[in-house]
Amino acid sequence: MDTVTHRFRDLNMIVDRVHNLFEQWKDENVFSSPLDEDTLHMLRLAIHEWVANLVQHAEFRDQEPEISINLMPSGARVFCTIEDNSLGFDLDTSLRVREATLESFPERGMGLLMLEACTDHLSYTQTEEGKFRLKFSVSADQDPWLHIPF
Amino acid sequence: MQPTSMTFTAETCNQHSRIIRIGKALDFRNAAEFKSSCQEQVRSGARNFILDFSETGILDSTGLGSIFSLYRQVSPLEGQVVFAAVSRPVQVVVQLTRTYKVFRQFPSVDAAKAALQ
Repeated sequence: MDTVTHRFRDLNMIVDRVHNLFEQWKDENVFSSPLDEDTLHMLRLAIHEWVANLVQHAEFRDQEPEISINLMPSGARVFCTIEDNSLGFDLDTSLRVREATLESFPERGMGLLMLEACTDHLSYTQTEEGKFRLKFSVSADQDPWLHIPF
Repeated sequence: MQPTSMTFTAETCNQHSRIIRIGKALDFRNAAEFKSSCQEQVRSGARNFILDFSETGILDSTGLGSIFSLYRQVSPLEGQVVFAAVSRPVQVVVQLTRTYKVFRQFPSVDAAKAALQ
């Protein structure tokens, strides 16, 4: 699979459309070895959690939302970039706050932590064009763990 | 927001046990509905819940949180929440969060029913 980019504008449909894409890629067997099935599910989960975060919490003000997802497989790793035209937020601080305040059997607050746990080199920064860009990679070589207090 | 088209119907095993078929997804779009359905079952006397994940392609953090909420309701009543027929996408979440330490897993709904009798 070469690099692919998909753009979305409808926040009501984006989650279903992303999952439909993964089903299509699975049917077409576009991701080849050494990317195994579990790694692809991890990638799908990471993208879902971020998109869910954008849908529920991102501020787009008067602009029509624009979200683009770019995937670049490279051996046993997939590099992912998700750009949006929201007002952005401080992801690092949010992660540390959530980590520090995570309850036992938490009902909320796990999404960004799950995203961090199953990815490498996670960052969310502003681009030169004034958009915001999430970057991460998912590897077939890991057994990630989000420590939830039980 | 486009809702995941799903109603969480419960199948009664016995006075205290229910099977909930999760279907294609349990995520931020329908977790409140899941929680509400389960609360109704607890009010009607259910304590043990078998969650059938055989068709589930999406379990996200909010969905998992709603399962934790159910667990917090039933565990003081000596109830259980168990997973049955866990699909691969759900297993990825279970492995990531190590929730197999809390929720027993069974290969099928029938196996879960037998264990809870």
